[in-house]
Amino acid sequence: MPTQYLFVFAQVHDEFRIPELLSVAELYGFDIKFSEDPKERDTSRPFMILELKSEEHARLLAGRCILIKYVCEFYARGTSYEEMHERNRLRKPQWEKYIADTSFKFMVTAFNHTIPQRRQRDVVEGFAYMDFQGKIDMKNPEITLACFEEYPDRRGTIREKIEGDGEFDEVWFGRLIDVELARPLAKKFDVKKRAYFGNTSMEAEMSLLMANQTLASPGKLVYDPFIGTGSMAYTTAYFGAFVFGSDIDGRQMRGKAKPPGIIRAAAQYGVANRIMDLCTFDVTQNPWRCGELFDAIVTDPPYGVRAGAKRLGRKNQRQPKEGPPPVHVERPDDQQYIPPTKPYELSELARDLILLARYMLKPRGRLVFFLPTVTEEYEEIDVQTMLCEGMEIVANSLQNFGSWGRRLITVRKITTEKYPPPTFDPAHAVTENADVHVPAHKDFREKYFQGFKKNGSIADSSAQEV
Amino acid sequence: MVRLITHNLLACHAKGCTSNNFPLQFQDAAIELRDAEFNADFLRGFLPRIEWTALVGAARQLGDTSLPAEQPEMLDDEFLQKLHHVLLEVHVEEGAMVCPNCKHVYPISNGIPNMLLAEHEIG
Ligand SMILES: C[S@@+](CC[C@H](N)C(=O)[O-])C[C@H]1O[C@@H](n2cnc3c(N)ncnc32)[C@H](O)[C@@H]1O
Ligand SMILES: [Zn+2]
Repeated sequence: MPTQYLFVFAQVHDEFRIPELLSVAELYGFDIKFSEDPKERDTSRPFMILELKSEEHARLLAGRCILIKYVCEFYARGTSYEEMHERNRLRKPQWEKYIADTSFKFMVTAFNHTIPQRRQRDVVEGFAYMDFQGKIDMKNPEITLACFEEYPDRRGTIREKIEGDGEFDEVWFGRLIDVELARPLAKKFDVKKRAYFGNTSMEAEMSLLMANQTLASPGKLVYDPFIGTGSMAYTTAYFGAFVFGSDIDGRQMRGKAKPPGIIRAAAQYGVANRIMDLCTFDVTQNPWRCGELFDAIVTDPPYGVRAGAKRLGRKNQRQPKEGPPPVHVERPDDQQYIPPTKPYELSELARDLILLARYMLKPRGRLVFFLPTVTEEYEEIDVQTMLCEGMEIVANSLQNFGSWGRRLITVRKITTEKYPPPTFDPAHAVTENADVHVPAHKDFREKYFQGFKKNGSIADSSAQEV
Repeated sequence: MVRLITHNLLACHAKGCTSNNFPLQFQDAAIELRDAEFNADFLRGFLPRIEWTALVGAARQLGDTSLPAEQPEMLDDEFLQKLHHVLLEVHVEEGAMVCPNCKHVYPISNGIPNMLLAEHEIG
């Protein structure tokens, strides 16, 4: 018999919540039943009721999902205390086993509001009819009964702390399940406390969400082809996977001291031996001998704002000089020869990345990557049209920064067929073909630096650049 | 780093270098041995991707003769332990990998190989 569990979520990254739940459930091989009612799946609210086969599944979710704050066995909810208590009485079969002699305490709290102490006591007294005989133990109770009042989100409006006390939308009640939460990992992986990081490092919470989208677990091999300072490598390795990383710029992976920065930071998290290897190369000129190597690819591709998207070659296609590369003075970062690079347009890069993933992933493997988008111009077709045969969208979650945002795209390889490696031929680029849909993320870098002005072609507005 | 599992997956990719471009030959290799977590499922799953002769050759070049010349049919624990050691615990920290065909030198420094191509080598 499936049981209803009350989940309380952090009120951040709303669009990542359901994909994360589904990924973790898939990783452990169980089902989650969501409500049929779309209002009940509204991720702008902190509460959600999920049906699970066992409490063990609730524990597994809480132990991996970064966005979960509390998990309860659900007893009752209501728009008033009367309604909630009435329903809770009907649920007696679920809690009567605790009546006789289980030590307990109550936790009364609110979202988007603070309940004054006095009324908290009144709330607890309101549960007197449950008639719990065990002793109240504030420190080490056998069970905690949790009551949450949910107030409307009034972000941005100024008001007295306790103004409107009692005017909640809904009150929720259940037995708190004692779980080891994954959420504190966001502190553990805090970039500022890391032995090595850079200005492209991905924030900890997002690196953890990304690692969950890869279904990382022991025995898997995950690849980041734009690894930079390695933020997702640490979280992915922490969940047990081996990680392989490459970057066109060795300095990003090494930093200044020795051993290489990524290894130093990985050691801090106890996962240095799960960094399979790091290599310096341009992913469009890669040395992979064969495909179907990885269970997942996780990456934050360069989109030209901070870490420019580059590829080997010259901008204006001038004929390369014949003969060996010019001799360079040895650099402190021991990269003796830095070949010239040219810009790599974002929509081209995104399509190449999906083709590369189809080649490099094992069947059922996942590609998880960020795609920056222009908020007002984005259309779902932008993402659909960058797919290729054999690759299917699993999730698409927006992190909104206002005029622009970035979408965490999760793609699954659904084919067992063998495909050739991508050619990375710019001739296939979207621009070259007028019939092809032009996505809003095309030329993202230029749009970014123009402040996403509407109208006017890029050529026009670049003239106004200071 | 460079572990032999990685070495087994990298081929020379210079323009026009498409045959006899694997395996790369180690040059002046400075080796370190470091423990890695043993995972039998990972090894079994990865074995089909491994070029056996290249692996045995690279291990021997680095002085490890524990692997048989022919890949055994039976993946027993004793074999998997040896495979684990060769694939994951031998790290080439310094030196280079050289293409047997075009002789391109891919230098390894602090365990990171530089697989970048020069301008005249890209396709
Ligand atoms: C947004 S950063 C990745 C940041 C990384 N997630 C981190 O935590 O630091 C993009 C990286 O891609 C690298 N890059 C740019 N073009 C590349 C190419 N053609 N091949 C490989 N790496 C490239 C840049 O050097 C940069 O380190
Ligand atoms: Zn070669």
